[in-house]
Amino acid sequence: MRSEAPRLREINRLCLQAGLQLMQHGAESALVESVARRVGLALGATRIDVAIMANALTVSASSVDDTITRVGRNEDQGINMHILIETQRVMLDLEAGTLNLESAFARLNAIVPFRYPRWMVVVAIGLSCASFARLTHADWTGCALTFVASALAMALRQVLGRLHFSPLVNFFVSAFVATSIAAQGLIYHWGETPKVAMAASCLLLVPGVPLINSVSDMVKGYINTGISRGTLAALLALSTCGGIVLAMTVWKVWAWI
Amino acid sequence: MSIIDLAQDMLLAAIPAVGFGMLFNVPPQVLVYCAIGGALGHGSRFALVQALGMPLEWATLLAAGLVSFVGIYAAQRLRAHPKVFTVASMIPMVPGIAAYTTVLAIVQMNQRGFSDELLKTAVQSGLRTFFVVGALAVGLAAPGLLFYRRRPIV
Repeated sequence: MRSEAPRLREINRLCLQAGLQLMQHGAESALVESVARRVGLALGATRIDVAIMANALTVSASSVDDTITRVGRNEDQGINMHILIETQRVMLDLEAGTLNLESAFARLNAIVPFRYPRWMVVVAIGLSCASFARLTHADWTGCALTFVASALAMALRQVLGRLHFSPLVNFFVSAFVATSIAAQGLIYHWGETPKVAMAASCLLLVPGVPLINSVSDMVKGYINTGISRGTLAALLALSTCGGIVLAMTVWKVWAWI
Repeated sequence: MSIIDLAQDMLLAAIPAVGFGMLFNVPPQVLVYCAIGGALGHGSRFALVQALGMPLEWATLLAAGLVSFVGIYAAQRLRAHPKVFTVASMIPMVPGIAAYTTVLAIVQMNQRGFSDELLKTAVQSGLRTFFVVGALAVGLAAPGLLFYRRRPIV
């Protein structure tokens, strides 16, 4: 039975890596736990226990006569659904028996995060916010203004993200820029609905994923991670509003309340 | 409510679902599911609110549940968790403006001093945000809560 220990250690390491990869790229806690567990059980561990914290993941793998526990630090890498899909497919292939321990490690390490070209995301987010404006009955001038303001804010958000600024700083500055551009519509009376443009141009900064994950975590019994995600979402919204208020004070326009 | 209004609503919701899907790095072949989910969710909510006069929160819950159930079929074909595209589909229904209004009203209470008007705005938009986001998440979790209780979806 001595020969079991190294294999169990490797199984535990694989479970932890798969779980962390999901956690870092925006998966909810229920998915993190189920994937980590199913990876370990597929490889023959008798029991896998997972403890999820806001900043760390603990996985404990057991065989008949041994248990190994390992903690991994979770650093948020931004939402990437492509990595979630690939990690989960590794788990499914392990369960189907087409992968073994070594090839599963190789597959996980070989995942290259898929990213859209930056300009394409900028245009898509500009169009998205313009659609939001249209849904809130803005006229075409308002939609065009929203497009410009939110696309520029998105470009800035990408630049600041690349420079590793804290998301709180990033959202504050991006909201300031988006509101400042949209405020010109109010100052120079472009179109009939400049107020809608001002509101819609900041919608790219709504922390939708943390908000939804927060509630789903809590509904599924992960109260701890749910609260921390909800707090992060509230802080991001607060910092965005800080940027909006600063811009409205600088340009002396008041469009919200 | 006419069919044209509904079609316009669905089209306008599909655009942000795809846009945010790209922001979340949803692979290109999955983006079409984001678009369908976004159009279906926002469109059905629009229809429920406009045609039946249903409260927004309940309509959101039903719309999110509908997208989630439809998403299961797509997810099983894709071999991926449905959330990888249903979350992007929910983004058009997230009450962003209400969320900002809440925080702005609170900030204003600090700057301009307390007033009943500001408190009313803060509480009303805060509750709206809370219940709509709750409805979105619970609607998304509905298949797991109701049918896939002890077994995984994928």
